[in-house]
Amino acid sequence: MITTWLGILLAVGLQGLAPRRHVVEIHGMAFRPAVLTVARGDTVVWINHDIVPHTATAPVPASIRAAAAWDTGQLMQGQNASYVPRYAGEASYICTLHPTMRGKLIIQ
Amino acid sequence: MSRSTLHRLLSVLLPLTVATALHAQGSAPPAAPAPDLSDPEVAHVAVTANAIDVDLARFAQARTRHAEVRQFAATMITDHTAVNAQAAALAGRLGVTPADNAVSQSLLAGAADARTGLERLRGAAFDKGYMDREVAYHQAVLDALDGLLIPTSSNADLRKLLVDVRPAFAAHLEHAKQIRNGLGSAR
Repeated sequence: MITTWLGILLAVGLQGLAPRRHVVEIHGMAFRPAVLTVARGDTVVWINHDIVPHTATAPVPASIRAAAAWDTGQLMQGQNASYVPRYAGEASYICTLHPTMRGKLIIQ
Repeated sequence: MSRSTLHRLLSVLLPLTVATALHAQGSAPPAAPAPDLSDPEVAHVAVTANAIDVDLARFAQARTRHAEVRQFAATMITDHTAVNAQAAALAGRLGVTPADNAVSQSLLAGAADARTGLERLRGAAFDKGYMDREVAYHQAVLDALDGLLIPTSSNADLRKLLVDVRPAFAAHLEHAKQIRNGLGSAR
């Protein structure tokens, strides 16, 4: 009985630590959600549903490690790209084709 | 989607170049869609309208030395090419072959005038002239969508498409305004 309960607790604990997959929908010239909280090691996937192409691009400020930046490249309608953040912090990103589109990852 | 719907859908694209041509000639933007045309003629006008805008953006890319203006022009090329591809694919699915017509010729003539006006400009004056045109152009399109096309659209597919396309024009307008404001007030 004790072994069973320990097994359940262990499974629940490991599940809580397992990397998760988050999806950011690009629709109507916006990132949805615009602000997303993730854990280091999680996977963030951007999917473009718009007719026009988009990117999800985080520039490389001098104060931030280069590994904290990313660029999906141009995503045509129906295409997707992913990024796995490795460092904690806040990372703002834009669509380089449409700079009025802004998003943020809060990486814990 | 019926041919009638295609007709109305492609008519949406008309104000793009009509507004541009009229603005370049110092006239007010159109208050209503272009005159009634056959579907093949409307398809030709739509393709022409997008091609004209892409061509002017290519000219701007070659003329400007301003990084933001060049990037904006690149985005116009990318986006209008994508819209044109969708329009062409739709026309293809419906078996419509674009047919040249008086409206297309008029749009081409207006675009040539606009091009002539911009060709006289260099440096900062060109950048401001091009961005002024882009602001007026996208505002005219949004006015046409909000004031006429979306409210009066009865077909669900057409209405959805109009609503889906609107944010792209709004983003273009906002982007154009930001760049134009950064260029200063005087030509």
